[in-house]
Amino acid sequence: MPRARIAALQEERILELVPYVYERSALVRRKWEEARVKPSDINSLADFTERVPFITKDDIRQFRDQAQDPFGGLLCTDYADTTTVFSTSGTTGDATLYAHAWDRWHPFWATTARDLWEIGVRPGDYVLGSGFKMRGPLYHADQMVGAIPVLVNTGIGGWATALDAIRRYRPVYAQLTGLALAELDHLSRTTDLREVFSSFKGAAFAGEPLGARARAQLESWGVEVYLWTSTGDVTGAWECGQHDGCHAWEDCVLLEAVDPAGTGPVADGELGELVATSLDNPVTPMVRFRSDDIIRMTRQPCACGRTHARFWPVGRKGDETIVAGRSFVPMDIWRALEDVPETATALFQLVRPAREIDELKVRVGYDPDITTSVPDLRDRVSEAITAAVGVPPVLELVPEPELLARGRGGKLPRVVKS
Amino acid sequence: MTAASSAAAAATLPRRGPWGIGRYDVAGQPVFFEVGWDDWQRDVAWARALLAGHGVGPVKGDGPGGTGGGSPPCVEKVGGGLVIVSGMPESPWFDPFETAARELGAPYSIGEIYAFEAFRTGLYTRRLPVTMVFGMDRTVAEGLGDELAEVVARVPVIVARPDAAGLLAAAGGRPFIVARVGPAIAVECPQRSGAHLNGNEWSLAERGGDLFISTAGPRAHQVREAPLGLRGALTDGPCGCGRTGQRVTISEGA
Repeated sequence: MPRARIAALQEERILELVPYVYERSALVRRKWEEARVKPSDINSLADFTERVPFITKDDIRQFRDQAQDPFGGLLCTDYADTTTVFSTSGTTGDATLYAHAWDRWHPFWATTARDLWEIGVRPGDYVLGSGFKMRGPLYHADQMVGAIPVLVNTGIGGWATALDAIRRYRPVYAQLTGLALAELDHLSRTTDLREVFSSFKGAAFAGEPLGARARAQLESWGVEVYLWTSTGDVTGAWECGQHDGCHAWEDCVLLEAVDPAGTGPVADGELGELVATSLDNPVTPMVRFRSDDIIRMTRQPCACGRTHARFWPVGRKGDETIVAGRSFVPMDIWRALEDVPETATALFQLVRPAREIDELKVRVGYDPDITTSVPDLRDRVSEAITAAVGVPPVLELVPEPELLARGRGGKLPRVVKS
Repeated sequence: MTAASSAAAAATLPRRGPWGIGRYDVAGQPVFFEVGWDDWQRDVAWARALLAGHGVGPVKGDGPGGTGGGSPPCVEKVGGGLVIVSGMPESPWFDPFETAARELGAPYSIGEIYAFEAFRTGLYTRRLPVTMVFGMDRTVAEGLGDELAEVVARVPVIVARPDAAGLLAAAGGRPFIVARVGPAIAVECPQRSGAHLNGNEWSLAERGGDLFISTAGPRAHQVREAPLGLRGALTDGPCGCGRTGQRVTISEGA
């Protein structure tokens, strides 16, 4: 679809959304009244992105606590008219509730079905029905495509048995997480994973960045990995076969990239904060929601032929840390740990009570099966991190299984206060 | 297009093969089983009747937030919200109850069965007018810690796995029982006289306290007198709820 048609479609939906949410969403109305904006002021997409105030996660939490409203002022229907109430992972704080109303299939996963089709999943294919249900039944995406989910445990400790299912049903696709990769890394020592995964057309990976070593390892097993991420909890955005950015579905979400420290838009391809507006969620629509996700976004056409916006996740706003005047992001530590065999799965937590800290505390998981000397490992990890960020760390080395137990929703919080 | 129109388009695709594949273990050995689309529809109908028997239905009264929003939650005026505690691999057993809740007009949330996810079950019962928790297991009951007693006090109906029943009783609750029984599921009705099995689909036999299952209906997964690795007792005959057929009391596992 040409960009002009996408923009026209978005403008039409935004102009329907504006009076709808102002009338029904208590948080939107409060924010707009504070900003002295009325629906009648918004007559174009440009008006919307110039005048409508942002909503942050803190706004939602504050409204929730003040008004004793579990939906933080986002709910636009009667509670009785909702079908499901699900929530975000809660990795970075209190989980936020989202309600939906639906009949046969959960709409949150409808765009995911399009992405599975892109990967090559077809009617009659088996897929590994993996993942978590916190955002609802993910296997609805499989079933929408006509695929058959093989519903086995792919959580921590479940992969040995999941491999049985893969051998038996020869699925074409699975959803992977960082914690799953740590377990597969161990299994690869005793199992030919290239043979196991030989039926796969692709696997999705989400929840956190994929390190270079992990990507290379998946490729060595013959798995083409498709990264995906969330667009401010409105929909998913997945890589296509070009693996050159995550495609948003702009018929369902209006995406903006704005100055992380300000309010204006950033140029195409520049670092910006992802801001999302729901275009087809009448129950709990997000309106100019600042996601805290730092991205680079482009609306240039992809080599795959698609014209919807693409973006590259860079990190979380606020993840930048300053120690002794030096600035770094968690990915810097990630890369350093990947180079040390005992910590190559890069399971770590940056222990940071504030953004600016005096000493760099890092909790690092190590593989006890291949660690012969913890003091020696401590020296090598310390050296690697010092080389990466320029500051010697204070290390807490813990066996991987102990750190895995701190995971939540398939991922490990990388920045923690204690 | 929209998400809804994508879903509608997907509905026109050919459906080759079953609803999904599940797995249960017998004495540590995996048994994979198919759930057909027809099987799933009958399971949903059965689940709907059981949930309705526990009073699950459309939300009554004013709910929290919504339509102008910000109205305080009126927990005493509303009912019908559920938290269904189950993991993704348990979907062949629990999806019919999720679907049934939706069909009955009761909003539902999902609390996963992992220790690190126990907080989610507590969160939903704290923030929403939840009148039933369905499927709580020992992991989640333990994971809730001190909040377990609060959940018990807040939620009128808790339907728990056998391994959580003792903890819930110690916290002041009087749970009903839901148990996975091989490829089947058994659920206690308000009469508390054993967990009902869907007799149109499955039948159980008990020998020396060991349980064996057979397929009774036209299901994709056919078994005959298969050992379950579970011990328990069976009751036959009419129940006070009006159902006939087998009821099972699991003495360990499940």
